Amino acid sequence: MHPSDVPDDPPPFLGTWRRVYIGVLLYLVILIAGFYLFTLAYR
Amino acid sequence: MRILDWIVLVTSLVSIIAYGLYRSRGSNTVDRYLLAGKSMPWYAMALSIMATQASAITFISTTGQAYVDGMRFVQFYFGLPLAMVVIAAFVVPVFHHAKVYTAYEYLEQRFDAKTRALGSLIFLAQRGLSAGLTIYAPALVLSVIMGWPEQTTTICVGATVVTYTMLGGIKAVTWSDVQQMGIILAGLVISLITVIVLLPKQVSFGDAVYLAGAAGRLNAVTTNFDWNDRFNIWSGLFGGTFLFLSYFGCDQSQVQRYLTGKSIAQSRLSLLFNAVAKIPMQFFILFIGAMVFVFYLFIQPPVLFQQAEVARIARSGEFPALNEQYQRAYEQRRQAALALVEAHHSGDPAAEQRQTAAYRAAQKDIDRTRTATAKLVESTGGEKGFTDTNYIFLSFVTRYLPAGIVGLVIAVILAATMSASSGEINSLATVSVIDIYQRYVKRDGNDHHYLWASRAATLFWGAYAVFFAGYARRLGSLIVAVNKVGSLFYGSLLGCFVLAFAFPRVRGTATFTGMLAGEAAILWTAQYTEISWLWYNGIGCAVVMATALAITAFEDGVASARPGRPRRGQRQPA
Repeated sequence: MHPSDVPDDPPPFLGTWRRVYIGVLLYLVILIAGFYLFTLAYR
Repeated sequence: MRILDWIVLVTSLVSIIAYGLYRSRGSNTVDRYLLAGKSMPWYAMALSIMATQASAITFISTTGQAYVDGMRFVQFYFGLPLAMVVIAAFVVPVFHHAKVYTAYEYLEQRFDAKTRALGSLIFLAQRGLSAGLTIYAPALVLSVIMGWPEQTTTICVGATVVTYTMLGGIKAVTWSDVQQMGIILAGLVISLITVIVLLPKQVSFGDAVYLAGAAGRLNAVTTNFDWNDRFNIWSGLFGGTFLFLSYFGCDQSQVQRYLTGKSIAQSRLSLLFNAVAKIPMQFFILFIGAMVFVFYLFIQPPVLFQQAEVARIARSGEFPALNEQYQRAYEQRRQAALALVEAHHSGDPAAEQRQTAAYRAAQKDIDRTRTATAKLVESTGGEKGFTDTNYIFLSFVTRYLPAGIVGLVIAVILAATMSASSGEINSLATVSVIDIYQRYVKRDGNDHHYLWASRAATLFWGAYAVFFAGYARRLGSLIVAVNKVGSLFYGSLLGCFVLAFAFPRVRGTATFTGMLAGEAAILWTAQYTEISWLWYNGIGCAVVMATALAITAFEDGVASARPGRPRRGQRQPA
């Protein structure tokens, strides 16, 4: 009763998974920087 | 609740459940019941994962957290994208290729049966407790709104969830989650708009944000490091990463979601979508809490939002003096807030600074009075560590939102709870049947037998969750309690999986011993130190790994000392 094998496809954007992961990490850096500026602006 | 609220509530819930059950047609084999026949597209998995996390607790507790402590709770989620990238890159392909139903099934392939059993038992203990908290949250809603006893509503909600989960399996859970996320997002936007519309005419949206910031409610990032501080950027990035690695990499309630994917790419996309969308969503929810705080600057809130406790302590001799002190403090804060807005508009920095100090001093008076009143609750027979955080948003919703919107918000809360609970109970049943029942009790049953065993296990875990929900009120802020309970167990599981993925030389007995040592270390830390629970996962993981690696090194040393015996992993000469 085991499920069947599943394919490993490339991502639908940015070409490789490595680039997608880097994009997500850059997004995190930008998000934290944005929140930090937000905190400073209204402190 | 008015007629229109009831219509919106009933229509929303019935349509969600009916849609989920409709999409789950044909879930008549174990593979389809537990893994949806590996047929799910990425967006359905992604929204399902989000909906599972955005339970009722997210609405009623996170908003209250922002009201009393500001937005710094958002930092808790900073580790999420880091964890998602690691899991998408390394964990998802391993689980898919291992062809497993549960994460712990993989542990037997990699280590041995006892490590799998220990991993399964740790999961069952932890997730069983969390499932109780999840079911308790809407009972809290109904007890505030309708005055029903929490225990009765817990049983009613639990029975509904169990029935729904037993019938539909994971496919029903996932597709109903998709619909729920739409309602959740709509509910969030409408709640924020309503808070802003309800502000006094002389206070603009910009003023509201300014006042929230001046009271320290917009502190989204705090950079000071403190082991005892639960929420700062460091505990979020490091502690949070460990917690989310554990949650998404080792917790069957999440692993099972992305195992339903059509392909590895679809599973990865569902996780990365969460990596991108989760933090802004939490920020948005916390921002609503901050705006509710501003709303209550101009409309007097009760001294405590738990009205039943206020009614009880009102008979105490100390209460009238506290209440009078609170009325004075509130009026001072209201005047100070208006004066601060005026000073802000005047463009005079000295006046602004002076009024800011007065406004903050008034806020401190309010906080002191609320703390004293909470202590009165405790000292007059109320629960130890009493907090009204979970009642703040509900109190606002029921008193001030217009007809129809109240029904929508309650529908969101109930639907999210059903989704989160059903996912948890479904995963608990899966582990019970696949890792315990099929492995140790009945190994030769047919597919039909295990399908019904899964349904019976669903019933059992639903009853267990309802029983534990009876104790949930004693655990303080629900959102914190859920993550705290998880942190007591996740570190050991995470250490075990890190060893499985990254250290091929480590074997079962070393890992098993390491897990026991890790769990002991976490429990000791929780019992005897003041270290924040966000660090438990890192500590547990480190102890598991250190113990297992030390045992492996010792075994290797003993093996290499024996003459004529090759070290583990070393090839025998041809």
